[in-house]
Amino acid sequence: MLKIENVTKYYGDFKAVDNLSFVVEPGEIFGLLGVNGAGKTTTFRMIMGLLEPTEGTITLDGKPIDYSVTDHIGFLTEERSLLTKLTVLEQCEFYGTLKGMSNEKIHERLNYLLEKFGVLEYKNKKIKELSKGNQQKIQFITAILNEPKLLILDEPFSGLDPFNVELFKNEIVEMSKRGSMIIFSSHRMEHVELFCKKIVVIMRGSSVLEGYLTDIKDKYRKKNILIKGNLDVDAISKIKGVISIEALADEYLVKIEHNNVSNEVFKAIKNTNITKFVVEEPSLNEIFVSKVGESYEK
Amino acid sequence: MKSKLNYLINISLKRKIKTKWFLIANILIAVVIAGIINIDNIINVFGGDFNNQTKLYIIDETDLTYEIFKSELEETGSFLDDGGKMNYEIIKTDKTHDELKEILVNVKEEETSIVITFTHSEENVLDVSILTKSYIDLMDTQVLTSAINNTKTTIAIANSNISEDVLASIYNPVNIERIFLEEEKNSEDENMEMIMTTVFPIVILPFFMLTIFLVQMIGAEVNDEKTTRGMEIIISNVSPKTHFFAKVVAGNLFVIIQGLLLFLYAGVGIIIRNVIGGDSQTAGIITEIGSMASSVISSNIGSSLIYIVPLTLVLMLLTFVAYSLLAGILASMTTNTEDFQQLQTPIMIISLVGYYLAMMAGVFKGAIFIKVLSFVPFISAILSPSLMVLGQIGVIEIIISIILTIITIWILIKYGLRIYKVGILNYSAKDLWKKMFKALKK
Repeated sequence: MLKIENVTKYYGDFKAVDNLSFVVEPGEIFGLLGVNGAGKTTTFRMIMGLLEPTEGTITLDGKPIDYSVTDHIGFLTEERSLLTKLTVLEQCEFYGTLKGMSNEKIHERLNYLLEKFGVLEYKNKKIKELSKGNQQKIQFITAILNEPKLLILDEPFSGLDPFNVELFKNEIVEMSKRGSMIIFSSHRMEHVELFCKKIVVIMRGSSVLEGYLTDIKDKYRKKNILIKGNLDVDAISKIKGVISIEALADEYLVKIEHNNVSNEVFKAIKNTNITKFVVEEPSLNEIFVSKVGESYEK
Repeated sequence: MKSKLNYLINISLKRKIKTKWFLIANILIAVVIAGIINIDNIINVFGGDFNNQTKLYIIDETDLTYEIFKSELEETGSFLDDGGKMNYEIIKTDKTHDELKEILVNVKEEETSIVITFTHSEENVLDVSILTKSYIDLMDTQVLTSAINNTKTTIAIANSNISEDVLASIYNPVNIERIFLEEEKNSEDENMEMIMTTVFPIVILPFFMLTIFLVQMIGAEVNDEKTTRGMEIIISNVSPKTHFFAKVVAGNLFVIIQGLLLFLYAGVGIIIRNVIGGDSQTAGIITEIGSMASSVISSNIGSSLIYIVPLTLVLMLLTFVAYSLLAGILASMTTNTEDFQQLQTPIMIISLVGYYLAMMAGVFKGAIFIKVLSFVPFISAILSPSLMVLGQIGVIEIIISIILTIITIWILIKYGLRIYKVGILNYSAKDLWKKMFKALKK
């Protein structure tokens, strides 16, 4: 179990992380979300032991994270962290050995993963000769080569096409099923929604929203109603609790303050020619925008 | 499990040595070194026949000058040319000036012919004219002028009715007795000091070159890992201390290997010279090195070499370590290769100052300024052995230099490591010095 307890980090006078706490259990996929500069990378660096927290503690299975446990952690940085002059094989041997793996184990795992990700042919190619997407695959492979107990993924889907995003997602889900703890950050909320059970949203270093995604959505009172048919927009907009009505391609999106308002809306349109009336949970992006106050996907 | 330090040293060294560029660079260096050692043979191969003798046509209107001039010329030539070979063909001729002019006009471009006319002069003893087709080289001019002046002196002395015994005593070289107040000093060592003053800057040139290799290699490697962000992965698995020492050890092993290779290439060059250049016009370099080595060994400096060489080697190795530590620290502070190249310039200048001072040490003997600088770490490895060879400092001073370099290394490790730890994960130039000073105080 990874436990972050009341962690604060100062850079000089600047507070980058403010009293942050969360727990990641084995087999959990955890989303660490926040706008650029919110403190995500600083948090990851503290987990990896690259930075020391000014206050608070970070433990993995009850022990502080030091070089005795980093062999069991995988880390994928937001920027490319590959030594571009090396070949794929040399790069994986290098990082694998630093993770305490034997040469035989490295080669065995590497061949398996290169084949799985469809890049076996690039084994002896230099990193700099690979495309951006293939470099990202190699970076991901180096992060999971040691079958880490804790996997930290900072923007893992950057530069990937939808097919490869699916490939990565499947691997991440498989790893969580095998008991790995996975923390990741992404700008793509649909990715977070797809496989994160728990999230924490941080803004200016401190948590503004945290917990299980289902609980967060349940607690979030605002809902969306999708309506298809002839709609008296003026009449609906006057209903108390209706926030806005947005005309989509062939339907309307009605945003309401809480679930009860949906009954009022339904009463107002039930006698008109309606073919669709669906009350939806808000998207994570909406919740995020609402909490953070700005669009995350900008 | 392999030690991560050993692995990092190994991989860092392999990345430098197991590259085609290392191979290409070393092939080029080997060719250049062997070429320099055999430069005269190379010039002879491409440059034509250098054994052409200069023809000297002598018109002697005095009837007595020719023999004296010939003897003086041989003596002058023998003094200048260590091999004792005269490169002049002296021809006494009865031809007229016009006939000789005709010969000179038809002389080939690569040949030199000179017509010298001696005539009697009441006022100057001897009048001489030198006729050539074009310019002649400076050495010929100097040799001929010297021989002609000596000829005039000989004729003038002979005309003064001085007896042969007196004449012989005039020509005998002066016997100079060299006396030293310090009993252990002798004139052979004095001459050897002069030789070593000339030779030593050449001996330390590889050290200077290797220092530049070392600084650039460590800087480039740290910067490469930093700019690709590979550093974050590396430092999350090994401590900055392990990483730092791995770079330093690998860098030093690299320059030691490269240094040994430089000596090997020089050895190969000498062997090539021995095989192909034994009968070269110039004296064989092997003979010269051999005779110089025997002179050095038989002199007092030879016995001093027993401690000068090991102390110099120790000082050089320690200085390599100090330079590599400094290079690593500076590289960790920079965020790209261009910044590091700018930051390494002062290191290069310091090293260059040491090299120039080592060359000037023989000229400014006893200079306090140079003596004081010979203790300064980073340049002491170049400067203090030079001063020791010149007899200006002793073993104690070298040992002090070694101790000062060790103290510098200790300071660089103690405080530099703090900067390194912060620097390698810092990607912003903003408030850089503030961050580094803060790291120092930590």
